[in-house]
Amino acid sequence: MKIIHRIYLSNAVNIGLIILVVALTLHSVTQVMTKFKFIEIADDINATFLEMRLEEKNLFLYHNESTLQQIKNKIEQSSQTLGQMQDDILKAVGEEKFEFLKRLLSNYQQCVFLLNDANISDKKIEDQVREAGKQLKSFSEDITSLERKQVSIIIKGMIRVMKRAFVAVVIFALIISYFTGQGLRNSLKRILSQSRSISKGNYQKIEGNAGSDELGSVIVAMNTMTDELQQRKQEILQSKRLASIGVLVAGVAHELNNPLNNISMIAQTYAEVYDTLGREQRLGFMTQIEEQIERLRATIKNLLDFSKPKTQNLKPMDINPVIQKSIDLVRNMLDVTGIKTHLDQASDLPEVYIDSHQIQQVLVNLITNAIQAMSPGGKLSIASRNVEPGHDIEISIQDSGKGIPKEFLDNIFDPFFSTKEDAGTGLGLWVSYGIIKNHQGNIRVKSIVGKGTIFTITLPVYQKKKRD
Amino acid sequence: MTAHRIMIIDDEKIVGDMSKFSLEQDGYVVETFLNGESALERLKQEKFSVVITDLKMKEIYGLEILRTVKQLYPGTAVIMITVFANLDVAIEAFRDYVHDFFPKPFKIKDLKESIKRALAKAAIPGDGNCWRIGIRFP
Repeated sequence: MKIIHRIYLSNAVNIGLIILVVALTLHSVTQVMTKFKFIEIADDINATFLEMRLEEKNLFLYHNESTLQQIKNKIEQSSQTLGQMQDDILKAVGEEKFEFLKRLLSNYQQCVFLLNDANISDKKIEDQVREAGKQLKSFSEDITSLERKQVSIIIKGMIRVMKRAFVAVVIFALIISYFTGQGLRNSLKRILSQSRSISKGNYQKIEGNAGSDELGSVIVAMNTMTDELQQRKQEILQSKRLASIGVLVAGVAHELNNPLNNISMIAQTYAEVYDTLGREQRLGFMTQIEEQIERLRATIKNLLDFSKPKTQNLKPMDINPVIQKSIDLVRNMLDVTGIKTHLDQASDLPEVYIDSHQIQQVLVNLITNAIQAMSPGGKLSIASRNVEPGHDIEISIQDSGKGIPKEFLDNIFDPFFSTKEDAGTGLGLWVSYGIIKNHQGNIRVKSIVGKGTIFTITLPVYQKKKRD
Repeated sequence: MTAHRIMIIDDEKIVGDMSKFSLEQDGYVVETFLNGESALERLKQEKFSVVITDLKMKEIYGLEILRTVKQLYPGTAVIMITVFANLDVAIEAFRDYVHDFFPKPFKIKDLKESIKRALAKAAIPGDGNCWRIGIRFP
């Protein structure tokens, strides 16, 4: 369900509950008002009935004609009030009780109307009148007090309903907020962790069900963006590859043209001075041609080796023994050049997923470069460490050599780029770069002329779950 | 008449060796250098009639040699050889009065022709661009 729909639903339910409570309250208030109106009328009637009964007492004590007339007037008055207030009374007490009250009043009226000068002293009639008056007054008072009680019950009920409704609304709002918030939090967490991993260049999609809410749409959009970014990255890599092919071709032209030119010059000179040359000199010329051809052959072999896509033999393993083995391979060179080696390996390194021979090739290449930059003497520091626990490990190779000028730093990973005077192939760092990139790793260089150079290799930690 | 002195600078040893071999046959005095620094040192000591230099050498680029030579000896012709022809660099070299430009591989015969032309030009006063300096026309 979408977040906005969840909010609508929770608001609708809360509004519904409030409307219900208000309706119930209004209903109760109307009831209370009806009851109050009745109680008001009833109080009047009760007062009239009380006066009637007082007059009645006087009548039987003093047998006064005017008193009888007053009682009759009061009966008439009460009867009229009942008639006028019939609707209100009916609403409050119902038809049955109203009819009964009217009957009692009419019974009393009949008893009073039977009275005259002749029978006023008659004890039997007097008792009948008193009994009817008593019944009328007590019934009237009874229903009045009953209504009072009911008003109190209704008000209590009303308070109870309001309290419960309040609690229900609060609980419901809390539950809805909790579930909506929980969903939001989970989705935001996933989005956050994905954007973090993208910023590190790790183009992983958000896995699992995206959900149908707005954040689900955001997740889908983020995943699409990740795809696009990955594609762009591939395109950039491709164009970089093309650019490096351009550099490679230029390098190839250079590497091939020089020996070709040399052979050409030897041949031309040979032809020109043939007659003046002795046997040894002629053989010397031929040897030089042979050397140049050998140079061409070596260049072509190197190129073929490096252009051949090699199958990687990847295995999860500890990097430290690989570093140790690489150092052992160049041990002799280190001893001869008098370079001091300082090795600092972290002991708790997680495994990396590598082709040990290829990584060894990279390390030997970097160490050899370092030796050449320093010798004779110098200090070589090699270290491994856990930079980002669970993600990456780092290997650094630092020399105290002459350093690389700033203007060359951008090109040192280009094919055929070499700063070595004795003309290295210029392919070592280029190949190392390719190997590390194929391991999803990274290789960086920092250098200060006169102080030394540090190469840092980053390799991703082996993730068992991902590979399986 | 003393023999013309020719300087050859190329980090490919064979280029110097072979050119020297061939040019000495024609009576030139040839000195070869494998890098720009030592060549510049030598140039400070003595004037050469022709300087043949590789365009792209590790430490000092051929263009720098060209400028230095033209500064020291405006009459000396500079011929460039390059393994990696680049039009922009060639144009720049011609602006700096390079005499000729040879992409590798090249014919020694052509190089010799070019040297002859350079020397002939230098022999006519007022013709070679380097001789214009200091000449006043009435």
